[in-house]
Amino acid sequence: MIGVEYHAAIRTRILAFYLFIALLVVVLFGGLAYRQLFSVEAFQERERLQNQRRILNPGPRGEIFDREGRVLVANRPRFSAVLNFSEYALRRELRETQLRLVRDIREGKIEDPGERLDRHARARVVEKYLTECSRILGRPLTIERRRLERHFNDQPLLPFPIINDLSQEEFSRLLEQLRPGSPVQLLPSTARHYPYASAAAHTLGYIGSTDELPTEGLEGADLQTFIAKGMYGRDGLEKQFDHLLQGQTGYSIWVVDPNGIQDRLVSSQTPVAGKPLNTSLDIDLQLKAEEVFGDQSGAMVVLDIHTGEVLAMVSKPDFDLNETSPFIPASLWNRLNEQEALYNRSTAGLYPPGSTFKIITASAGLRHGVITPDTVVECPGYFMLGRFRFVCHRRSGHGPVRVTDALRMSCNVFFYETALRLGPEKLAEEGRLFGLHRPTGVEIPAEATKMIMPDPEWKRSVGREAWTAGNTANMAIGQGDVLVTPLQMACMIASYARNETTTTPTILRRDRGARVPIRPNQPIGLRPEHRAAILEGLFQCIDWTATQHPGAAGTGSRAKIPGINLAGKSGTAQIKTLRRGTFELAWFVGFGPVEDPKVAWCALVIGDQPDEEMGGGAVAAPKVKPVIELYFQKHPPQPPPPTSRFAAPAAGPG
Amino acid sequence: MPRKHFLQARPFLALGLIVVAWLVLPLVVKSLARVSFYEFQAPALLSASYLRDLQDYWALRVQSKDELIAAGRDIAHTNARYELGIRENEALRAEVERLERLLNLPVHTGYRYEIARVARRDFSIWWQQLWIRKGTNHGIPVGAPVVYTGGVVGRVREVHATTAVVDLISSPNIRLAATFAGDNRPVAYLGVANPQFANPHGRVQFVPGDIAASAAAPAQLVTSGLGGIFPPGLVIGRIQKLTIGPDGQFKEGEVILDERLSSLSEVAVLVPIDDL
Repeated sequence: MIGVEYHAAIRTRILAFYLFIALLVVVLFGGLAYRQLFSVEAFQERERLQNQRRILNPGPRGEIFDREGRVLVANRPRFSAVLNFSEYALRRELRETQLRLVRDIREGKIEDPGERLDRHARARVVEKYLTECSRILGRPLTIERRRLERHFNDQPLLPFPIINDLSQEEFSRLLEQLRPGSPVQLLPSTARHYPYASAAAHTLGYIGSTDELPTEGLEGADLQTFIAKGMYGRDGLEKQFDHLLQGQTGYSIWVVDPNGIQDRLVSSQTPVAGKPLNTSLDIDLQLKAEEVFGDQSGAMVVLDIHTGEVLAMVSKPDFDLNETSPFIPASLWNRLNEQEALYNRSTAGLYPPGSTFKIITASAGLRHGVITPDTVVECPGYFMLGRFRFVCHRRSGHGPVRVTDALRMSCNVFFYETALRLGPEKLAEEGRLFGLHRPTGVEIPAEATKMIMPDPEWKRSVGREAWTAGNTANMAIGQGDVLVTPLQMACMIASYARNETTTTPTILRRDRGARVPIRPNQPIGLRPEHRAAILEGLFQCIDWTATQHPGAAGTGSRAKIPGINLAGKSGTAQIKTLRRGTFELAWFVGFGPVEDPKVAWCALVIGDQPDEEMGGGAVAAPKVKPVIELYFQKHPPQPPPPTSRFAAPAAGPG
Repeated sequence: MPRKHFLQARPFLALGLIVVAWLVLPLVVKSLARVSFYEFQAPALLSASYLRDLQDYWALRVQSKDELIAAGRDIAHTNARYELGIRENEALRAEVERLERLLNLPVHTGYRYEIARVARRDFSIWWQQLWIRKGTNHGIPVGAPVVYTGGVVGRVREVHATTAVVDLISSPNIRLAATFAGDNRPVAYLGVANPQFANPHGRVQFVPGDIAASAAAPAQLVTSGLGGIFPPGLVIGRIQKLTIGPDGQFKEGEVILDERLSSLSEVAVLVPIDDL
């Protein structure tokens, strides 16, 4: 008989061991249950963050229209040929190429390329399709290896563009001749298109490309995000109204494979186009104004007197906006900077207004009683101030002149005399009354802010020597330290035409959507006979021809349009620049018809050659005439009322 | 017992051996076998097609004399119209050549028409194709456009000695550059999977936002001539509705193709003059 040895201690140990194992199992299953039942959301979230990627696509920008609904800025389709590595066939081809490379290297058929094989395989595949596209398009195509690597390092989820900005014919050839399942796909995007090329280039502005898109309210903000290039306004209306023009960003969220390539679409939202912008510009007037300037440097602003709407705004030199789309090449940027062509002379250029400022001097003199419409000043052709001789532009003198004659003939001596009787403070105060000391507030970025309406206090504040009578005399004729923009001068003359002090210009249609803030306004406050004397002078400046009044012709007679009564004032000034020397400026401001003012303008022509002699009446007035003629062709004036030539119109919103 | 099992499994064994043999065959032999298959199949296909033509002929023989006379009169009218059209075309061609010489323009690519009878029609959800009774013997190249009186039929996909396979325009294998009649901006036309027995249709993409179409005023889609395959102005189909696409900037819509595409009996292959 076999005896069985029994050890009670062993049973206890086994029991303890079982318990220990049971405990471990409980812990294991407990942990598993905890993860499955309670931590599932956290794990799902980690899985989501690890496996999902978001792609943002910009919405097309809104279009910009002129006041008659003609498209000034549109979007043109821009097609690129791209390789979409999220396509299964291309991923398989990539893998096969890589495996073939490994095999060939092992078998000694090819040398080790000395770089990561996946990169080498990628380059080979891209090269293959590039060759195919090159054959179809009949032109050589190359891609920098560095660009390829940068794309896969930075934006692996986005399609890799192999040809950008295909022409219509290239797009059609690839579409028709690539097989439908080809990994080369035609991807649409938009670029800005400017049907009128350089027209209103500074006003409309240009765009730049950006990786920053508006993403408020979009799903998947916590996911790794890849952003297709969008556009943003860099200047002009494109910049000012970027928030309106900018489209609503669309997105797509993808589950990606271990290589980071799209595998399955989770959710998406279509991008939405931005809002349209209705401007006050009249493209007919704009084109005409640009045509009359040709290659001449300068600026012109045409305003609707009653609404302050800008009908045309020219700044020369300018540039073809289409060359800036989809982006400005560095060479173009440098060239435009060298020509100072990016600078909007209408709103950002500060210039001495020359004799056009005499309207302010006359107004101040009449307001403060230092002259009356009948005050006569003898002009011998010069004015002696101490030992300094201030000349009139007609060296032989204008003889006895009243304020009306002085404005017509632009007699300097009359205004030297008036300003010296008045004093600089009152003269500056009159300029400030018409807003010449502050920006107009037009909705165009980078409007000049450092305009100067000088007086003794200003001169002290900038640390220069004390104010002199010579400063006053210079100021009276719009020289010296006075600096204004062409837009300010257009607003000043528009205000004068309305018998008010302020015109708030706008580049938007007042009757279409966007609210335009109106500045407080007030009547000019001149006695009617005083205002009439000034307006008569401005009228005669254009309407008194040399044939009617030999030797006393108005300086702006070259702007005369038969059958329409216009009022205007020419001006000539000099400006010193460090880079280019001294240049003459030719001004011409005005409005019409005088009986019922509708349109105001300011033209500035800048001399192209140092010390080139220019006169506002001879150079600027003829440039205004065709533009205003066109305006009145489009808006024929009513016959003038028989009673009053200078009826003060009802106040407008300006 | 094992012998019985062996006998039962013999067909599967034979099939397995054939599959293995096919797998290990050199690529050249496989290609040759495939081409031969089509070439051997072609006579049967052609014979069936000719028999159908004969059948149609005898069906026409039973028409009454009055009907034949009326048909003959219609044909005479049509011929007269065509004759006039030919003369006008000749005059226009001469004018085009004169202008090309005058303006020193490159000579416009011409095509030769090769009329071919349809031997077979294959329609499924995955492909829509025609077999035509002409091939390399008649100078037909792969990729040549195929047209009929209603516009575009498709493109030649495969060519054999006496037959060719044409992908219909409704087939997912077709993609071409089109324009809307009266507009010169190219858009993309794509064939799609068409259910059997349904009217053929395709899709149009990348349509500029200012183009509109409705059931009351459908837009006509024609070939652009920019893609280098199809000459311009051939009718593709009509569009009754356009909607904004997923990119938010272009429109897209369904293209309704001509119902005659599924019952064609004769087509014209456009053989580029350069290929002659």
